[in-house]
Amino acid sequence: MNRVKKVLSSKQIVTLVWVIGLIIVWEIGATVIAQTKRTPEYVLPHISQIVDSVFSDKLVNGSQTATQIVLSNAALTLVRAGIGFIIGSIIGFILALLMNMFLPVEKIAFPYLMMIQMIPILGMAPIILAITKDIDKSRIVIAAILTFYPVATNTLAGFKAVEKAKHELMYSIAAKKKDIYKKLLIPASLPYFFTGLKISAPMAITASILVDTLQGGGGLGCMLSQSLKHAMSIYVFWQIVFFSAIIGILSFYLMSVIEKLVSPYKKVRR
Amino acid sequence: MENGYLNTEAGPLKINAAGEVSTKKARARKKAGLNKDAVMTVLYPVLFGILVLVLWQTQVLHKILGTDTFTLPLPGRIINIIFENVPAILKNVQATVIVAVGGLLLGSVLGYFLGIVAMAFPKWGSGGISIASAFTAVPIVAIAPILNNLTKDLSDDPHIRSMLAKTLVVMITCTVSMSINAYRGFTELKPFSLDLMKSYAASKTTIFLKLRVPNSLPYIFTALRVSVPASIISALVSEYFAEFIIGVGRQIRESIVLAQYATAWAYILVACAIGILMYAILLIAEGVILKGRRHR
Repeated sequence: MNRVKKVLSSKQIVTLVWVIGLIIVWEIGATVIAQTKRTPEYVLPHISQIVDSVFSDKLVNGSQTATQIVLSNAALTLVRAGIGFIIGSIIGFILALLMNMFLPVEKIAFPYLMMIQMIPILGMAPIILAITKDIDKSRIVIAAILTFYPVATNTLAGFKAVEKAKHELMYSIAAKKKDIYKKLLIPASLPYFFTGLKISAPMAITASILVDTLQGGGGLGCMLSQSLKHAMSIYVFWQIVFFSAIIGILSFYLMSVIEKLVSPYKKVRR
Repeated sequence: MENGYLNTEAGPLKINAAGEVSTKKARARKKAGLNKDAVMTVLYPVLFGILVLVLWQTQVLHKILGTDTFTLPLPGRIINIIFENVPAILKNVQATVIVAVGGLLLGSVLGYFLGIVAMAFPKWGSGGISIASAFTAVPIVAIAPILNNLTKDLSDDPHIRSMLAKTLVVMITCTVSMSINAYRGFTELKPFSLDLMKSYAASKTTIFLKLRVPNSLPYIFTALRVSVPASIISALVSEYFAEFIIGVGRQIRESIVLAQYATAWAYILVACAIGILMYAILLIAEGVILKGRRHR
């Protein structure tokens, strides 16, 4: 027990040292750039400057501070990303279920599922905006598309990975198809389903931010490009960079937490 | 004739069956089902594709999506535009492919090297790798503008410096997945293989060259399967933010801004073609290099 504790603490220390190391590298870079460039805050500001801007109550665009801008727009972007993510994961799960139940559906959809992975969906963001004509809708649609195929492929892999012996057991006790799915296949596929969710959660957020940059009308990406075009304090840009990075990482861990709550004893062997 | 056909089919089938099913009955069932199965595998998706194309061409698809031929042009028109603009499209494809492939190569080599470093210092290395895996969650949208600003003073030519910035973005996205997988490839060895090497009194260099490097090969391809599509996506997205207006991704956006949706669709089709082509090349390379190895 004591040894386990020791390993854990040392691991945390390793991570801590890495974070501190990264901060030191950043600060050295910032110091060098501060001396060589005319507008260092556009290239690499000190971390303290960014942190200062988070807590400063200076108004950046007349009515809001930098932090208020970031948070209010983040809500706009993340809610859409979240809706798209949920829709996408439901569609993905249902598709995987249908593919497993009906062979023709699998035969039709599988090659296209493989192909869609190679297609740069984010590149299609502008055209989806043009079709839906509404930035909120297109955020949801793109987040949903990006979510649905990792979820579908991973869940299907989960259905396929169930051992033959378990199927035979179900057959031997004359289980109904409904019960096989309810008691065996769906629980067994859950870890794979969550693997899909973990892949797609950061992607849904990236997509949503990217769609923002295409059009005015609020959202993190919109503020990001405005800040880059000198329309407001550059620190808004830096805050959004850090904020989106943190949210991206958090979304990954959120999925892990939900997975632990839903299926605490299962883990994909990887 | 039919008998001969069956015999040639039975050859690969037996090997196939030996790996998966052992009972005679299952093998026989599989043999009978093969032809129908193979036909279904090809026919169904092709039919579906044709159905979608027909719906598209007859504008039923437009009614379903609630759009018009202006924003969603007919497939024939898109193909026409591609053929009419071959030189311009090739120029942009070249820019995108250079960025994607250059970044992919740089990032993968750097990632592999980082994997070696992490393996050499396992205690600090594994911590570094877990930090690196957190970076995969950072949106490309956030990285691209930073690198644009960083590279602004490196060259006076906007073409070169935006090229550099884009390549760096792609490099970063590819480095992470390669370093994680290379580290796993170096450390997740077959049981007892390391003990065997030690019993031969093999030096660390020998272990590295004869055991760890060959062991990491499949992991390299696992990484590439992630980073090849990612390299194209990040190349396209970084073009959105780049200074110099070139590249397939940028042309999609510029065409939309100018309301030339047909041109935008042409570039989207080209982007998809690049993505599928690069993935196909990867799969072929994997098939050749990992021939005779059982894939995980």
